Amino acid sequence: MWRVVLRRLLLAAVVVFLVSLITFLLLHLLPGGPARGVLGPEATPQQIEQFNHDHGFDQPVHVQYWDYLTRLLRGDLGASYTLNSPVGTLLAQRLPRTLLLTVASTLLAILVALPLGVAQAVRRNSRFDYLATGLTFVLYATPVFFLSLLLIIVFTQLWPVFPAQAAQGESIGELLSQPRSLVLPVIAGAGATVAAFSRYARASVVDNLAEDYVRTARAKGTPERVILWRHVWRNSLTSVVAMLGYYVPVIFGGALVVESMFNYPGVGLLLWNAARTSDYPVLLGVVLVIAVATVVGSLLADLAQLLIDPRVRTAQSSRAKGAGRS
Amino acid sequence: MSATSDNEPVLRVDGLSVDFRTSSGPVTAVSGVSFAVREREIVAVVGESGSGKSTTAMAVLQLLAPNAHVSGGIQLLGRDVLALRGEQLRRVRGKDAAMIFQEPMTALNPLHTIGAQLVEAMRNHATPQERRSRDFRAEAVRLLHRVGIPEPERRLRQYPHQLSGGQRQRVVIAVALSCRPRLIIADEPTTALDVTVQAGILDLLRDIRDTDGTAVLLITHNMGVVADIADRVLVMRHGELVEQAGTERLFAAPSHDYTRALLAAVPKLGDRDRATDSGVDGDTKASEVDTGNASSEPDTGAAPAALELTDVVVSYATGRGTGLRALDRVSLRLAPGEMLGLVGESGSGKSTLGQCALGLITPDAGEVRVFGTPLRRARGRAGRALRGQLGVVFQDPASSLDPRMTVAQCVAEPLLVHRVRDRAERARRVAELLDAVELGSAVHHRFPHELSGGQRQRVSLARALVLRPKLLVADEPTSALDVSVQATVLDVLTRLHRELGFACLFISHDLAVVDAVCDRVAVMRAGRIIEDGPRRDILTNAGQEYTRQLVMSSPVPDPVRQRRRRGDRAAGTTTGAAR
Repeated sequence: MWRVVLRRLLLAAVVVFLVSLITFLLLHLLPGGPARGVLGPEATPQQIEQFNHDHGFDQPVHVQYWDYLTRLLRGDLGASYTLNSPVGTLLAQRLPRTLLLTVASTLLAILVALPLGVAQAVRRNSRFDYLATGLTFVLYATPVFFLSLLLIIVFTQLWPVFPAQAAQGESIGELLSQPRSLVLPVIAGAGATVAAFSRYARASVVDNLAEDYVRTARAKGTPERVILWRHVWRNSLTSVVAMLGYYVPVIFGGALVVESMFNYPGVGLLLWNAARTSDYPVLLGVVLVIAVATVVGSLLADLAQLLIDPRVRTAQSSRAKGAGRS
Repeated sequence: MSATSDNEPVLRVDGLSVDFRTSSGPVTAVSGVSFAVREREIVAVVGESGSGKSTTAMAVLQLLAPNAHVSGGIQLLGRDVLALRGEQLRRVRGKDAAMIFQEPMTALNPLHTIGAQLVEAMRNHATPQERRSRDFRAEAVRLLHRVGIPEPERRLRQYPHQLSGGQRQRVVIAVALSCRPRLIIADEPTTALDVTVQAGILDLLRDIRDTDGTAVLLITHNMGVVADIADRVLVMRHGELVEQAGTERLFAAPSHDYTRALLAAVPKLGDRDRATDSGVDGDTKASEVDTGNASSEPDTGAAPAALELTDVVVSYATGRGTGLRALDRVSLRLAPGEMLGLVGESGSGKSTLGQCALGLITPDAGEVRVFGTPLRRARGRAGRALRGQLGVVFQDPASSLDPRMTVAQCVAEPLLVHRVRDRAERARRVAELLDAVELGSAVHHRFPHELSGGQRQRVSLARALVLRPKLLVADEPTSALDVSVQATVLDVLTRLHRELGFACLFISHDLAVVDAVCDRVAVMRAGRIIEDGPRRDILTNAGQEYTRQLVMSSPVPDPVRQRRRRGDRAAGTTTGAAR
């Protein structure tokens, strides 16, 4: 099993490398370069030339990328053009805050969506099912920024129970000490995910309820409650967990929007500002972080599959054995 | 366990009717069926697909879909099952009557161990005190031992995917036996299994009846299985019970026309020899003489073989790293105009061989020649011309025809691919072929889903033959069809073979079908051809032990002969019983 993990990690390194290359090239293709954005409209041509020379933009693109890559391998992500601080430091400060928001949103989504999906599957095609389906579709179709605005209007203006600005502070502890200020961002981040997860859980349970092994369980006199939780739910979980892993980047992306809506000092706000000011090192750094999160998410999902499904377990371990032999 | 007196049947079904409520109105699946199953009795329900036999079986334990409306009476051990709901019903399921299902691959939960699934069945019907004190695992070991699974302690900890199909079915039977039911309902319990495995499962069911006195309601479409095991037979058609009689009487003197037709349609192993020996069946004899001529000519070596495989190796990469050899140095020669039956159990490599002959799989080693041309080198224009000489019919007609093409378009497609540009010519050929497979002009503009299974397979046959190929590969062409439909498809195939004189590689797991249509038979096992020779030699006087076992295990739809064969098999060999 460790061999499988090792191989997946190597693959992950390749993916991250490719993401860095593609992002680098795409930024290079943007017209104008970062100098104008950083120095402002008043900058003279000499100042711009000086900036380009200082940051190596007068070099051929492969030289630029090589420089970037060698520094990256030493753990140096470069320095922000505008924030006067290394990108590594900025990410170290802000990543935990975004993770807090992401994890909280995901947990909320799971807690609401999975029971809802199972309940819908058990009472499928009932009035309750149709109502839940309608609501989740509306939620799914609502953009994150719009949901955030709605939440702000309803819960800070019409019925002012929560603050409109997210929790502020340096450390996670500080943020957690203002739980009321985290409620709206977490809900906004969970919104679309709840819809997707519950649809998925419903479909998965409905499929499994129609499986032959359920009929076998029924024929041997197994109580319906046991059939649902011991048989169907565990089988449904395999596909739900797989989807969870692939949803990590989606939730992460949603958090980025939520942060800018609630002025939450995380990676999203950083990315938003970097994009507006052409702060290339920060942009590249954040994109790499998202790439790593995606890869890690799917790896975790696969490992969870390994724990749940004995079929995957034997297939994986025997494949690893075979790889060792050849 | 509630006691029943001697004359009270274990199961009594009175005027059972089942309707399914669908969006297009109610559909009647079963109407007015009445029968009884007594202790120590094996009652078979036979019928073709859609006859309502499975619905009847499922109704007994109320396992039908929620849209089923069941009426009539079902008395199980004197209790009205249809009046039971919820917890009362649960207590009956698995305890008074248990079920065995068709697909052992899917009937068990893939995420639970064999042991967990067996123990659960027992715990479902145990009292709270028993749950604390009973040693369920020890009982599970005994059950697995009872159904003939070796190393039961180790198997208990394994998952379903680690067992073979036959062993899984034995586990399903163990689950069914776990609460000592008075009735076992077996719904096509051997349909998904190889014949040698089937023989073992049927022996087990018979043994359970003999030692425990359990009644068995057996649902099957296979007349051979019925002849082998049943005491009494119910024949169903279109949801109605058309005849019921003791097994020997039913086979000897069927009283209903449908039963007679059904029995006549079943190919019987060895029947062709009887017919030709006594000179009764002139038709079959004619075909034999005809194709005999065709196949004896090329043996002089003048014409190249229609298909020639030389030391062909095909291996698949498996999870275990070592490649599985699907074909292991296989050599085979098929003369022009010859009809060769390729038989073997699942996984023997017979379909892989067929795909090699079509060039769909490129062998890892060895050579495949079609009419003297190596397939490996046939590319471009020459390759296209060569492929025009090949036709193919697959097992499942429902999935091998494009659902968006009409019948005429399906049949005309090979002509388009091979650049027959004249529209009138194409139409003429399509009409000619559809006529040859006995499909009238009414079906030309219909879509595959509007046809029956047998009609669809005849469309496949027409499509395969529209280019007038000289080699036809038919991979289990009738396995998905009901017997009466199979009979027509086989008739059409043998007639066209006689008229058009193509060579045919006929792949099948059914020895009786091969016996009915082929002149020569090759037997495959584990990627090798272990025996190859004239049909009669192979099927009556095989050189290999495995072939003899295969022949012995295929049940014959004749109770008297089958009893004798079973005796022979029991005397001859005991290997394979645990498969």
